[in-house]
Amino acid sequence: MLATLAIASLVRHRTRTVLAILGVAVSAAMLLDMVMLSSGMRESFRGLLLSQGFQLRLSPRGTLPFDTEATIRGADSLLALVRARPTVAAASPVLGGQLHFPSRSATITASALGVEPAVQGDYEVVAGREPAAADEIVANDATLRAIGHSVGDTVRAAAGYDPQLRTYSGERTLRVVGRVRFIYLALDQRAVALPITTLRAMGGPSSADRISLAMVKLRAGADVERERAALHALLPQVTVTSTAQALEQVDQRLSYFRQLAVILGSVSLVIGFLLVTTLVTVSVNERIGEIAVMRAIGVRRWRIVGQILLESSALMLIAAPLGLALGLVSARWLNSILARFPGLPERIDFFLFQPRAAWASLGLLAVSGILAGIYPSWRSASLPIAVTLRQEAVG
Amino acid sequence: MLGYGDRVDRFAVGTPSSGATTDAVARINASAFGFQAHRSADVAVETSKTFAVVSRFHRAIGTITIVASAIFLLCIMLLKVDERRRDVAALRLIGCSERTIVGSVVLEAAAIAVLGSLFGVVVGGTASFLVNRHYQAVYRTPLRFSIVTGDIVLLAVALALVLGIVAGWLAARRLVRTPPLALFGR
Repeated sequence: MLATLAIASLVRHRTRTVLAILGVAVSAAMLLDMVMLSSGMRESFRGLLLSQGFQLRLSPRGTLPFDTEATIRGADSLLALVRARPTVAAASPVLGGQLHFPSRSATITASALGVEPAVQGDYEVVAGREPAAADEIVANDATLRAIGHSVGDTVRAAAGYDPQLRTYSGERTLRVVGRVRFIYLALDQRAVALPITTLRAMGGPSSADRISLAMVKLRAGADVERERAALHALLPQVTVTSTAQALEQVDQRLSYFRQLAVILGSVSLVIGFLLVTTLVTVSVNERIGEIAVMRAIGVRRWRIVGQILLESSALMLIAAPLGLALGLVSARWLNSILARFPGLPERIDFFLFQPRAAWASLGLLAVSGILAGIYPSWRSASLPIAVTLRQEAVG
Repeated sequence: MLGYGDRVDRFAVGTPSSGATTDAVARINASAFGFQAHRSADVAVETSKTFAVVSRFHRAIGTITIVASAIFLLCIMLLKVDERRRDVAALRLIGCSERTIVGSVVLEAAAIAVLGSLFGVVVGGTASFLVNRHYQAVYRTPLRFSIVTGDIVLLAVALALVLGIVAGWLAARRLVRTPPLALFGR
């Protein structure tokens, strides 16, 4: 009976109910988007960092990976120490730099990563294969487009310039053996990867026995934080960053978006709450006589309260699926805008759908719906029956 | 101290006019080896890309907020006009034209929209002040993160006015099309 009366009350004012549902749906969509924004970016970045299974990153002391152009000296002995540890499954060294590809019209410059192809975790091969020999290179689409070459072609590349002699330094002929997608780089960023020994040789003495970063994969069951502390103590010349610490840094740098999400999410919830409270209050005001009659014929007070609470909760819950759908569509739109951040890795999503986010939004909406019904239901249940009936009858 | 020797990261070159800048960029790039000349305006566009993306994101959020506000306003106006069904029925029965009734409701809606938007401007101004205080403290900068300009106030008031008038007109039209006795509940 409770549900029937609540539904009858909503159906009686169709336009009003439809508008309220639409209003709550838009608020719910915004709420879902903001819940997705507050947690999505962090989870997306976490997924990106762990996608290749490397839990620790070693960078020059006091820096974050690739935050500066600083490099680590004595890289070979450092890697030997790391690889000798029983908890370490793999260590992948990376040397960052630039390669210049001279052509008749212009020189194309691309970021270059010197890696050990067998253990690298910086790119995925889309076509072709990993570099196997010292004169082999892989490149992403942006670079291949810019230099006008494809897999199988041979290219001239240089590691630097000598402006006084107007010549290139560290020049080599390299063969493109693969088309790759770089995991941590932006889609439109020109980049290539080649064996670290080749890049070091091209860079000359300043690059010898150096790396910019080493990524460490631990064996199953190893305690990441304990291993981080052990490496930190063992290697004073580097900063060891775990995924959890990297996420903390990301949290700090992107705190603006998290705060925005909290503020806009709260505003959405308040708007939905106000809308339903107003609607249900007006609806109760219109039915004062009806409610007084129900009380006069013996309907208990808690049933009246229950009916009105059900009415407000129903409005919220009917609007929720619509809000969810709207929220997913608007999240895609908002994500496509933020994806244009310069240098943002292709795989980072600001709005990441997680079932937990949807449940959190639904829970908040349900609580808000119940709260929205409390005032009107309390007001209706505490009406003086005789006075209300007389006033309604007299008009 | 850095051991960089005879090196610099960049040169800034002054030119007497815009035409001279174009000429200088072309000549430097034609003879340059290992470096490239860029116009300051191009560098500014490139370095402000982050702000452009944030600005587009804010505009998108603003659009969603406007949609939500429009529905909210329409709903409230509908309720407000609905509350006056007996008054409207009485006015209709004593001979007031539909036009007069719709006009009065629209006028009331416009007044509410203007008063509401002015209150909103005060709330927005306060929020802007708090946002600036917070982020200037967080990032330790005198930069202003939120600025309420005359154009923005004008846009907000105009938008609220248009939405209020449309919502009031829709609600009033719905009411005047219902027979007066039905509005009395008979």
